Formats: sequence, C-alpha cells, structure tokens
Amino acid sequence: MEIKFSIRRHDPMDRESPGPYYREYVVDAAEGMTVLEALLKISEEEDPTLAFRRSCRSAICGSCAMTVNGFARLTCNLQVIPEYEKMGAMRIEPLANHRVVKDLVVDMAPFWEKMEKAAPFLMPAGGSETSPVTIEDQARIDESQRCIMCGCCNAECNSLEIDERFIAPAASAKAWRFVGDVREGHQAKRLERLSEEHGIWDCVRCIHCTQYCPKDVKPLKQIESLRSAAMKAGVLDNPGARHVEAMADSVERFGRLDEAAMTFKTLGFLRSLGMIPLGLKLERHGKMPRPYLFPQIMEIDEVRAIYDEIEKKSGLKPKKEE
Amino acid sequence: MAEELKYAYYPGCVSQHMTRETNDATRLIAGKLGIGLYDMPRANCCGAGLLTDYDYKLYLALNARIFAEAEAMEMDIMTICSTCLMVMSAANRDLKRDPRLLEETNQVLAAAGLHYSGKVEVKQLLWVLAGDYGLERLKEQVTRPLGRLKVAPFYGCHSLRPSDALGFDDPEKPWSLEATIRALGAEPVEYRGKTKCCGFQVDLVAEKTATKMTGVRLLDGKRNGADCFVTPCPFCHINLDNYQGLAEKSVDERIDMPVFHLSQLVGLAMGLSPKELGLSRHLVSPERVLK
Repeated sequence: MEIKFSIRRHDPMDRESPGPYYREYVVDAAEGMTVLEALLKISEEEDPTLAFRRSCRSAICGSCAMTVNGFARLTCNLQVIPEYEKMGAMRIEPLANHRVVKDLVVDMAPFWEKMEKAAPFLMPAGGSETSPVTIEDQARIDESQRCIMCGCCNAECNSLEIDERFIAPAASAKAWRFVGDVREGHQAKRLERLSEEHGIWDCVRCIHCTQYCPKDVKPLKQIESLRSAAMKAGVLDNPGARHVEAMADSVERFGRLDEAAMTFKTLGFLRSLGMIPLGLKLERHGKMPRPYLFPQIMEIDEVRAIYDEIEKKSGLKPKKEE
Repeated sequence: MAEELKYAYYPGCVSQHMTRETNDATRLIAGKLGIGLYDMPRANCCGAGLLTDYDYKLYLALNARIFAEAEAMEMDIMTICSTCLMVMSAANRDLKRDPRLLEETNQVLAAAGLHYSGKVEVKQLLWVLAGDYGLERLKEQVTRPLGRLKVAPFYGCHSLRPSDALGFDDPEKPWSLEATIRALGAEPVEYRGKTKCCGFQVDLVAEKTATKMTGVRLLDGKRNGADCFVTPCPFCHINLDNYQGLAEKSVDERIDMPVFHLSQLVGLAMGLSPKELGLSRHLVSPERVLK
C-alpha cells in the first residue's frame, strides 16, 4: 500500500536553508510496518539527509518519540497502515514543546534539567538501610518506575506549552517514585520544593500526559499523589493547596462548590482585591459569584457522614507541621 | 415511536449560577426535543478534579453518592459540564473495574445509609444529542439553520480524555461536535487547539498560564477562520468568554470572539431567541455573528 508521508524538515543551524517546511515521501508500506521502519526506509533509499533518533526498536529506549498526526507517539510501536487508515494522513513532526535541533531531532537538555530538579535518587533517613519493603509499598510506585523518559508526556503537556519553566509530567512522575518510596527520608523537603511556583500545582489536569504515555506511567495520577502527599504533610501555604482545601471545605459545608469562597480562600484578601475589575464586569452580566448564595444540598448530613467515615479510616484532615 | 429518553440531570455547580444560561438553555431545548431531564436534589459536587488531590477515597465515595441517587431513580446521568463528566466517569470506571474498591466505597457509603451497585452510566449533553437522540432527528428540529456560520468546536480536555473512562468519541479524531455543528446548518472550523486545555484549572493558582492558554486557543480558532466558538463545557466557557479580556492582554492582541454554550447554539437553530437563551449574559457579545 503506497502511503504519502509529510515530514517536517528544518535545520535551524543552517542559515542558508529554508525552514521549517514539509517534504513529502511515498512509502510502499507492508502490513505490520512501523512508522520508524518507514522513516528508516526513506532515509536509506531516498533521502539520507533526513535526521531522526532511534535505537532499540522495541519501545524501551524512548529515542524515537515524535509527533505523528498531531500526537506524541513512539514511532517504533506505531504501525503505519492502521494509523493511516484511522487518520487519513501520515504527518510526522518533532516532539512538541521541545526546541528542534534538526528535522525530527529535538533538544532534550531541558527535559533532563527538569529531571535533575526532581532529585532522581533515594535519600534514605539515617539507619534505614535495612528498611523492609512490602509488595504494597512497591506497588505504590510501580507505575512511576515504568518511565522510559521518551518525552511524550512533556510534548503533550498543555502547561509546558505555555510555561517552559513548569516542572512538567515526566519529572513529576519521577518525583513520586522517590516521595512514594518508604525508604525515602526527605519527603517533606521534596514536597515543599515541588509545591513552589512552576511546580506540581501548575498542572492543568488536561490528561494528555496520561493519554499519550506509551508505558502507562499515568503521570497525572502521580501528580495527584504528590499533591495529596504534600497536603497531608502540611505543605499548605501555596495557592494550589489552598484551592483544594477550599473545595474540600465547601463540599463538606454545602455539598457544592462555593465559587466566591474558593476565590477568596485561594488568593487571600490582597490578591482578591486584584479581581475587582473582572468582578465588576461579571456583576454587570449577572455572573458575579456570591458567597453562600445557594442553600445546602438536600441530605447534607450524608455528605458529612462520608467525610467523617473517611477521616476515621485515613486521618483525612491535613495538619500543618509543627 | 421512539422510547422517551430520560436522564437524571446533573448540571454541575458552575451551571447553577455563574453560567446558569447553559442550564436554562439545556432545559429549554430538552423540553422541545422531548428529552426528559429529572432533577437530582440531593446530588453533591463531584469535586471538579480537586478532591482527587485531597483524598482519593473521599472523591470516590462522594461520586458514588451521586451514582447511588441516580441508581435509585433508575436512570443514567446526563451532565452539561465536561469536567463533571470526566470526574464522575473516572470514578465510575475505577469502581466498576475493581470489585474490592466498590466494596470499600460501599462501606463508607453505609455510614450515610447508601449503596451503589455499579449500574449507572454518565453522559454529557453532546453525547446525548449525537448518540442517544441522533443527529438526523436533531436536524428535523432545526427551524432556523445557522447559515454557514463558521464555528470553532472547542472540546477542551475533559469531554475526550481519559478515553478509557469516557469512550464515546475519539480523542485523536473527534467527530461529535463537528457533526452537531453541521446538523445545525453551520460550518465547523478545523484547528489544532480544539482538543487542548483552556486553562481553567489554574485560573486562581497560576493566572498567567491560564490566561495565556486561553488566549492561544482563541487565536488558534480565529486564525483558522472562526466567526465564533462553541463548547460543551461551562468551565471552558468561563475562560474563553469571561476571561477573554485578560487573555487578550496576555497574548497582546484583540480577539473579540463570541463563545456559545452547546445548548445555546442548538437552541438558536431550533428558533429560540437570544433572550430565551441568555446570550446577554456573555461578556463578549455574540450579536454581530447572529445577524
């Protein structure tokens, strides 16, 4: 089956070259051929100037991650024909949210810098060399250990698209691998650093990282675990944690979201004043959130009984560290 | 004669006040289409994604409480909020997949005298129109086709992902919103950002990220020829419409893009008036595209 590949070409280092542009190649795709095999065929038989990374061809090294038809994929485990039949196109581009070095090769240095910020090594507390690790302890961090650092999640991250300083999903998932490890001795310190500006609370929960992770690491779930652990460790003095606390409080009191209280509790008094111009606009259109506008939902006691039960089981209420 | 469609109606918190025009418009079009919406007066907030950060088991139990109410009504749930859809669907997926988790959750619910057996499905208005009701039937109800208005479909994140919990549409190649726009006589605009995030989750937490994200999405649709946007999610509407002024500042460009709730666009094509549909509540007036 002959399939047209449209591949983004660009050599930013060559001032003479045009760029970026798309060049088309026709590949005779056999049943089962992967996108990486097609790229190798193009490179070997038609255009040796096409630059791309690859290594293991077994979906374990992560080198061949690229954008295929708009979404981050490992090209070595994506078959050409089903992809083409689904999308009606075969458009290959470098990973998004990364600087292009040449053609389909991107600069991974910022990715590794973020990883370093997550301090990807164990820092046991003194005397913990013989800590027992149960199967359940291990299971908590299993998903985050599956990461092959291909960069697909960061390429799909909507927050990173806007804020290049955002820690992003790959390093966050790696951080949970250590925060969630029972042998780790510096959880609170790690959680404080992760809760700073451009940290875990800046994730917009778009779920793209989880949807496009080729190894099912579920980075968003690991970010949720970090946020939950941060709150339980008393790392609460930041807008993200205040926002979540305000929601939990609002649901317990009224059974529903109290938008005005959420704003005030998240931003605090002074920053809430900055919302006045927008508030006036909203007021003119009848959209200004009012505190305590709605009555409690019916049977609010059921909601409170659920909170009480969870608190009894897991010691829910986060306490500030002394 | 087709069996009456009946749903336990879960508008979500934000559509009961800040974006109540979409709740009102939904009730109006449902009435005209013969879709039965039955209120859930006991239903609590789903947590809008935030309660998972607080405590996963609390989030599960609170959502199971909502499902228990729908189960007692012997109906599936229909919501008009994509975030409620995502949050409830993810909780429902986890509870249905893992009998031990369902049992544990029911032990918590027992403290409130409740039980959930796992029979409820969660849908959103878009799926009900494009799926259960059917776009051919919807077309028959269009009395004022939208005259090839160029509409940017904005799915946002939570009506498509995680696809293993939602399942109705394809996150890489979604069709339901475009097909609904066509059924109403308008023309969908293709643009890359249609399945991306509007930024609302960090409106109060990382304001610069949120407003710039909104601006980037709006400009993307505008540069691809959109006259207006439509979204099935009230949170996306808040960012795209209410926060558009802030978004314009963050991308340093005038945008002036009207944004419709899905229910309003359907209502307009069915002959309802801008007043009935609450269009005056929008911060960016849609008047110019309705001429």
